Amino acid sequence: MSKLFQSVLLGSVILPALLIVAGGMLGLGASSFAQYLATQIVIACLVGVALVMIVGYARVIMLATGAMMAIGAYGSAMLMLHLGVPYLLTLPICILSGLVAGFVLAVPSTRFKGHHLAMATIVFQFLVVIGIREAGDWTGGALGLRVPNVDVFGISAYQDGPWMFFVAIACALAIGSLGVLLGARFGKTLKAISDAEVAADAYGVDLVRFKIAAFAISSAYLALAGALLAPGVRVLDPESFGIHLSIVTLGYPIVGGMGSLWGGIIGGGVLRTLPEALRFLGQYQELWIALLAIAVMMINPGGILGIARSVLPASRQQAKDVVSAAPVHGAQPAASPAPASAEDAIRVTAGVKAYDGLVAVDHVDLVVKAGEIHGLIGPNGAGKTTLFNAISGFTPFDSGTIALFGRQVGNEPSRTRIKHSVTRTFQHVAVFGQLSCLDNVIIGLGRNGVTDALAASVGEVAGTAGARDAARKALDALREVGLENLAYEPARRLSLGNQRRLEIARAIVSRPRLILLDEPVSGVAREEEHRIAELLAHLNRQHGITMLLIEHNIAFVRRLAHSMSVMAAGRIIASGDPEQTIARPEVRRQYFGEAHVEHSA
Amino acid sequence: MTQFLLLSLGGLRIGAIYALAAIGLVVIHKATRAVNFAHGAFIMLGAYGGFLGVERWGLPYWQVYILVPLGVGLLAAAFEYLVLRRMRTADAFSLVIVTVFAGTLGSEAIRIVFESETLAVAPVLSGRPIILGPLILTLETLWIIAGAIVCGLAGIYVFSRAGMGRAMRAMSANLRGAQLCGYSVDVVYAQAWFLGGLLAGLAGLFAAPRLGVSPELAIATIVPAFVAAIIGGFDSLKGAVLGGLILGLLETYTAAFLPPAFKNAFTFLLLLVVLLFMPDGLFPERKARRV
Repeated sequence: MSKLFQSVLLGSVILPALLIVAGGMLGLGASSFAQYLATQIVIACLVGVALVMIVGYARVIMLATGAMMAIGAYGSAMLMLHLGVPYLLTLPICILSGLVAGFVLAVPSTRFKGHHLAMATIVFQFLVVIGIREAGDWTGGALGLRVPNVDVFGISAYQDGPWMFFVAIACALAIGSLGVLLGARFGKTLKAISDAEVAADAYGVDLVRFKIAAFAISSAYLALAGALLAPGVRVLDPESFGIHLSIVTLGYPIVGGMGSLWGGIIGGGVLRTLPEALRFLGQYQELWIALLAIAVMMINPGGILGIARSVLPASRQQAKDVVSAAPVHGAQPAASPAPASAEDAIRVTAGVKAYDGLVAVDHVDLVVKAGEIHGLIGPNGAGKTTLFNAISGFTPFDSGTIALFGRQVGNEPSRTRIKHSVTRTFQHVAVFGQLSCLDNVIIGLGRNGVTDALAASVGEVAGTAGARDAARKALDALREVGLENLAYEPARRLSLGNQRRLEIARAIVSRPRLILLDEPVSGVAREEEHRIAELLAHLNRQHGITMLLIEHNIAFVRRLAHSMSVMAAGRIIASGDPEQTIARPEVRRQYFGEAHVEHSA
Repeated sequence: MTQFLLLSLGGLRIGAIYALAAIGLVVIHKATRAVNFAHGAFIMLGAYGGFLGVERWGLPYWQVYILVPLGVGLLAAAFEYLVLRRMRTADAFSLVIVTVFAGTLGSEAIRIVFESETLAVAPVLSGRPIILGPLILTLETLWIIAGAIVCGLAGIYVFSRAGMGRAMRAMSANLRGAQLCGYSVDVVYAQAWFLGGLLAGLAGLFAAPRLGVSPELAIATIVPAFVAAIIGGFDSLKGAVLGGLILGLLETYTAAFLPPAFKNAFTFLLLLVVLLFMPDGLFPERKARRV
């Protein structure tokens, strides 16, 4: 498990920071213009990484970058000019202003999806520039604002070399801290959201809050980048922070690669260097950045980084050779229920859910006793999924009540189910494809608040006991389902059967009392179906986990379940012992379409 | 009162252009699910086409009004065929990004080719204004209001009634189903982009004498087009017409009665208000149930 922390520490914190500082050192002997340029490039790297968080990880089309940088640049200059605040002290104030601005933009805007959200950022961009132009008394308006000379530890912003060195160190610190957030829990949770929103939600991730947090943090770093930029450019002009800057910088993460902070560094570095290195490109900057961005989106959305990775020989080839070895749990299916407690795990009373007059669930009562595996079958359109979604919190009932382990859950949202010790799997597998199996399961632990994730990010890099404990629990769960050999593989590379196992590992790692299983063997091979049945029976016996199982596969339910219910046309038409229930004539008629059972019975 | 009526006429004039712009945006979105952030650039290209045709080449207006929309429409169809067709499996996020950069590409290319600042195009009709009591109605105003709205309604008619429109609507409702019924996605999407581009080119022609011809026209028109589309519900064509007219009127009234600082910010603030308080607009289409 030290592997995990080492890779985060090296790949996301130490290396980029060293690279940037080393670049600064190298530039010390260069010409004054080259040093000025190096300062600009380093800041572009920081902007690129900040945008990787919001564009690449949170999947927001951010077109307010110029505005956020303006808030930092103008904020810093105005604090120095009007209030005499020393430059170094303006930096934390600017970071805070960026945080607040990001928050103000995000709280209303994250309610919108996709293009509406992109438009909201454009609106913010224009309003900030219009504000700067109109508030000429403080900002210099359209004429521009002269930034006072800055003196930091004897370094003046007018000395290009030393100033470049100062900016490089500041950017290295900033990129390093962004690396902690991106490479560890916080960034992984953002990736989990973009991979499978429903699953993230089911494990307690508040999608909106994470998006707002990504917005605010990213904006804070953009404001810092603006504040670092201001003293070097000497005169601030509202137009230079306009929509054009936002579009050019949006190209940074896209061209560089949106999947890790390296993409931001490469994108910012390359796109800011190219026009200077190839002077004839200079005046066409926006033109070819636009061309590059379109080409990347068409050819390889992974950007320069993705292209490099696909060309270079894969370093982790051995992982492919490892085949999961399913542990042997004994071939015995759960013949008798696990020790039952007096409590009911699920008690649905008079549940009703209608869609435009179609009553999908019609006054249903359902009781699942703690400790048992309860199968729920029924023909298509019987209302199974609606009932399941109500129990898992995704679509609340119109009327009726649901109690889990004796506690009414009412209309609590799905993400709070895990607090009631209830987890679920998905009919269409919803693993977090970009994350390793281990990280998939760690998210299953359910401690996924924004502040938890931020703290856990630091914890993972520092290798605290809490982070090690989470990784150990996750590995235990992976071992239990037979995937420990694949712990560090990205989940998207797993076979469907193994992805279903991974979902089970994610569902059990928090030691829940109840698991809701939505067709856990649909689409898997016969042999794998038997193994998953054994696995579920074993988990039920071993940990006393109650299970509600929706399935079309009657043999699977008959083999596994201690009791079952049959739904048809929104009602439960029979329930009880599996064998007896399946044998009942009304069930056979409804489910198997046997019209002649009366004669044969 | 006269003042108010004159203002309203001005509002309708700019509103008709916004409506035409918004209809194109909605046509493309309705048929292909893509939100075209390059629409402003298409409009700008239409305006430049008008400048080239009228001022540089001295073509008669009726030829310009035929050639330019066709040209912009073909360009839009080519964009769909060369770029978007290769991204059929991409998510909405990638599509929006590509159209954002395609728009940038358009305005930057124009900036390089036409180095000068804002260019002017003579109005189509410059005859004696019609005097209606205290009201002075220039022929130009009449031409824009009537012409833009007639063009917009014709576009709506093609989309809603003709076979092309049926295919587009079928595809936006159920892509696989429409394909199985023999509609070709590539053809229909290219048609939709053609129609959208054509309307954008027309909007650019109508806008050119009023708003001036410059690369900034791209941004100056995409935001109002978007606002008009959202007011209308984003998927409703008649909503886009009404949205454009409402926006034009509101903008003109605020410009007359409020300080100039507010005027610049108005459209943006209105967009924010509409997004926040009526994200489904005036004519919400029935939303598919979330699974």
